[in-house]
Amino acid sequence: MNALVAVPRLVWKAVTLPPALLLSLAGNVLTALVQIWANKIRSLLTVLGIIIAVMSIIVVVSLTQGFGDYFTNFLRNLGTNLMVVYPQWLRGPRGEWLRPAELTVDDIFAVDRLSAASRRTAPVIFMQGTVEYGRRQLAGVDVRGSSELFQPIRNFYVDEGRFFSATDVDAAMPVCVLGREILRKLECDESILGDFVLIDSQRFKVMGLLEAKGSFMGENQDEIAVIPWTVALKMYPERRNYMAFYVEAMSEPQIPESEAQVTRALRQRHGLGPGDADDFGIFKQDQILQEFGRVRTVATSVLAGIVSISLLVGGIGIMNVMLVSVTERTREIGLRKSVGARRRDILLQFLTEAVVLSTLGGAIGIALGYSICYIATLHPQMVEVNVPLWSVALALGFSAGVGVFFGIIPAFKAAILHPIDALRHE
Amino acid sequence: MITKADGGAGRPVIELEDIHKIYRVGTELVRALRGVTRTIYENEYVAIMGPSGSGKSTLMNILGCLDIPTSGAYRLAGKDVSRLSQSKLARIRGRKIGFVFQSFELLPRTSALKNVELPLSYARVPKRRQRAMEALKRVDLLDRYYHHPNQLSGGQKQRVAIARALAQHPDIILADEPTGNLDSKTSEEIMCVFDSLHADGQTIIVVTHEDSIAARCHRVIRLMDGQIVEDRYNVASDSGAYEEAGAGTVHVGAAEGAGVA
Ligand SMILES: Nc1ncnc2c1ncn2[C@@H]1O[C@H](COP(=O)(O)OP(=O)(O)O)[C@@H](O)[C@H]1O
Ligand SMILES: [Mg+2]
Repeated sequence: MNALVAVPRLVWKAVTLPPALLLSLAGNVLTALVQIWANKIRSLLTVLGIIIAVMSIIVVVSLTQGFGDYFTNFLRNLGTNLMVVYPQWLRGPRGEWLRPAELTVDDIFAVDRLSAASRRTAPVIFMQGTVEYGRRQLAGVDVRGSSELFQPIRNFYVDEGRFFSATDVDAAMPVCVLGREILRKLECDESILGDFVLIDSQRFKVMGLLEAKGSFMGENQDEIAVIPWTVALKMYPERRNYMAFYVEAMSEPQIPESEAQVTRALRQRHGLGPGDADDFGIFKQDQILQEFGRVRTVATSVLAGIVSISLLVGGIGIMNVMLVSVTERTREIGLRKSVGARRRDILLQFLTEAVVLSTLGGAIGIALGYSICYIATLHPQMVEVNVPLWSVALALGFSAGVGVFFGIIPAFKAAILHPIDALRHE
Repeated sequence: MITKADGGAGRPVIELEDIHKIYRVGTELVRALRGVTRTIYENEYVAIMGPSGSGKSTLMNILGCLDIPTSGAYRLAGKDVSRLSQSKLARIRGRKIGFVFQSFELLPRTSALKNVELPLSYARVPKRRQRAMEALKRVDLLDRYYHHPNQLSGGQKQRVAIARALAQHPDIILADEPTGNLDSKTSEEIMCVFDSLHADGQTIIVVTHEDSIAARCHRVIRLMDGQIVEDRYNVASDSGAYEEAGAGTVHVGAAEGAGVA
């Protein structure tokens, strides 16, 4: 029978394997392991490509997943359906930067009235200041001037004492709430409640302490002080015309509607014509998500590149070493045939060996991937990383697939050897 | 016209009719066997002799179903096997034939026991370990079953190979120069194993160059240029049946005539 006829017939026979043959698979796996163990170094070098591919799958998938969870979590902490509206810088006729466009409290109140899709709004003034308590002082603290609605909009609540009230805001009372990191850095405890601190040399009564949020991308979110926006404007009157504000949409689907209403109201109030650009900006959460999505896409394409190249290299390595193995063991093949092995038995034996080899490489890759993920989490600012089970399954599937794909040619070569030619092989 | 059939001592195991084997080497044709017609009976102990290149191995390969003849008919235990597919041939090799090679052909890094089990596992017979152990016992190597080939002497390796050939209780054992790689003392040891298998009723065919080995067989077939030139029963055999059958040289023409008829 010539090889042209033999190969399709063999494929057919291999596909219609009787169950009894599957039972002998265990024996084949054992033979394969003995063979691989006998050539330890060679086998290890052979599967290097597969090790790298699988390791990359595990590490990249786990890291993107970890960062993804981290971002999602951060956004949830930021407040759901949150937007920040801020004044845009104006440009002169030659494109030079002039000054921020005006955005006043009246604009904010107007938006609050006009936008039905927005649940609530709160002015916000972003500042950096120095907090002093006793003889200790802490510079570079994020100070926010906002309203009593800061809590629900930012989903950032006081868990000790209370938040300042609408009355406090209206009366411009010098009161504040502090984040936990400030307490830690000022080396004081909750007894600071009711006491006074200096924020940029002004006396404030501490009314409440904000719950701890932890850090995001290495930046601590708890190093924050919130004061009434009315007080903030008194301290920095020049900010009166350049305010920003939070908007919370009624629901997630209503975010675009809310954004449109805000835009319409502000453009109208600022007298902008149809051709004029917005003189304000709106920051939305999905911008962060889009940003992260871009990172994830890049990571995924880099992963796909690494994985396909190393799988290809690994596969060719396996094919090569299997071809060498078939040649080295030609007499063994002849002997096996002479004691009753059929072509499909030999085919299956060598295919099993290729698959066991590549799967072992995959297993090593998984172990290395796990180790790298573990070592990465030892870094204090690293996000929590868990290796998803599906990535392990995917990696194992890939490596086994490579074994089948690249093992089939050497296995055929072994299977169609004529017993006598094989036994005569030197 | 004196053949074994006339003696009536056993059923035919191997029946060859006008077997030809032609190899093609480039454009040249090599006629390795040129019309071999012969019958070998149950429990015969046959030596095949002849100069190098006379076609002994080619004949053994065809007898062992490792190869098929270019033309002619071969019946093994009454069944025509000369035109079977590769997978059917493999099945017959595994169940009806035990091959012993000059260079042992044991699997390395594999225990004697596992080597003997090999044909049993391809035939998927049950109780492999037990049957393999029985075969090892038969060649007096029971205490070495866990040894790997590199821990065995040449003679021991060949005994493991014989056990492997025995494990399936084959119709016939074919040994192509089984002592070719062994010294004379070890050769004697191996031939004693064959003698005792034969005494138990096993049909055996041995290719050999050595007259001393041919002398312990009961029948000697001599090949020359792919043809049988001599086929005789040994006078000095220990079995009375062969002497009755008529010892001495059977002439080629007469023997072939008898085989065809
Ligand atoms: N596979 C083959 N291809 C070509 N010629 C072969 C092959 N096998 C054997 N021959 C030839 O057939 C003849 C008989 O060989 P062989 O049976 O091996 O002889 P012996 O075993 O008696 O020494 C020799 O001339 C040899 O060269
Ligand atoms: Mg020979």
